[in-house]
Amino acid sequence: MAVIPFGVVCGASAASIGLSFWQAFGMAWLVFAGSSQIVATQLMASGAPLWVTVLTGWVVNLRFMMYSATLAPHFRGRSRSARWVAAYLLTDQAFAATLGRIVDGDDARATAWFYFGMAASTWLFWQVASIAGILLGSFIPARWSMDFIVALTFVALLVPLLNDRLMRSAAVVGGMVALAPQLPFRLNLITAALAGAAVAMLLEKIWTRPSPG
Amino acid sequence: MDPTLAWLTILALAAATFATRLSFMGLLAHVELPRLLQRGLAYVPPAILAAIIAPQVFPVVQELPTLAWPRLVAALVAFAVAFRTGSTLATVCIGMLVLWGLQALQG
Repeated sequence: MAVIPFGVVCGASAASIGLSFWQAFGMAWLVFAGSSQIVATQLMASGAPLWVTVLTGWVVNLRFMMYSATLAPHFRGRSRSARWVAAYLLTDQAFAATLGRIVDGDDARATAWFYFGMAASTWLFWQVASIAGILLGSFIPARWSMDFIVALTFVALLVPLLNDRLMRSAAVVGGMVALAPQLPFRLNLITAALAGAAVAMLLEKIWTRPSPG
Repeated sequence: MDPTLAWLTILALAAATFATRLSFMGLLAHVELPRLLQRGLAYVPPAILAAIIAPQVFPVVQELPTLAWPRLVAALVAFAVAFRTGSTLATVCIGMLVLWGLQALQG
């Protein structure tokens, strides 16, 4: 349910840059990852080269590798098709909900079924919300500043992550690098992500070093 | 937007995204995620989310970040709402109301 507003926003921004209904809807069910859809939409609109758009969207989605590694033990006994469907349906929401079950100490089979239920309902709500956004998107006047909903949605996604000083450092560095002068090929976002992660890893090393004596 | 280029972008992004999801569930099912990579991946989301937000609050005009007052204030209020409520819907709604209010005051 929580994905509905974000799905509407993603559908609307895809429609607003002039993608056809089928392109915008194709993005919703083929890519099925809101943050990267928004980023790709903005880069496409700004005329960035294809490889930069795809690479930036991929970096936004790198977190799925972490989720995939965490969930993998619970799907090890499953058929290949089940694992591929599980992978396609992997989202922040399904992962977060399932992680709560794993901590509770459920067995792998029940965890897998719980995951499929969460992931499939997230998928369904996402597609319905996307269609609503695509259809509404082209009717909204620019003076309503609806583009700002994207920034606000990301604020809501960012705040829960800022729970320790390393995550906060990564955010501060990422935000500052994004404001640096325009890099060639619009590589700012990728640079910001890598710089933020690198600085946080460096600080982690410095701050966790045992003090002498 | 050129339709062929748009479709190529969508399909390539879809393939790249599916590869990240499938990675350790499918192709690398018997590989452990290296600890260094695990730490690094944890820091990418806050960095990239902040990087997406920053230029919308400080628009880069002629190579220099400038201040968009209504957007900055609305974003700060949204931060406070997200921190207090943890609700996406409340954050977006209150943030937009603050932005519209300030824009109306500016005329």
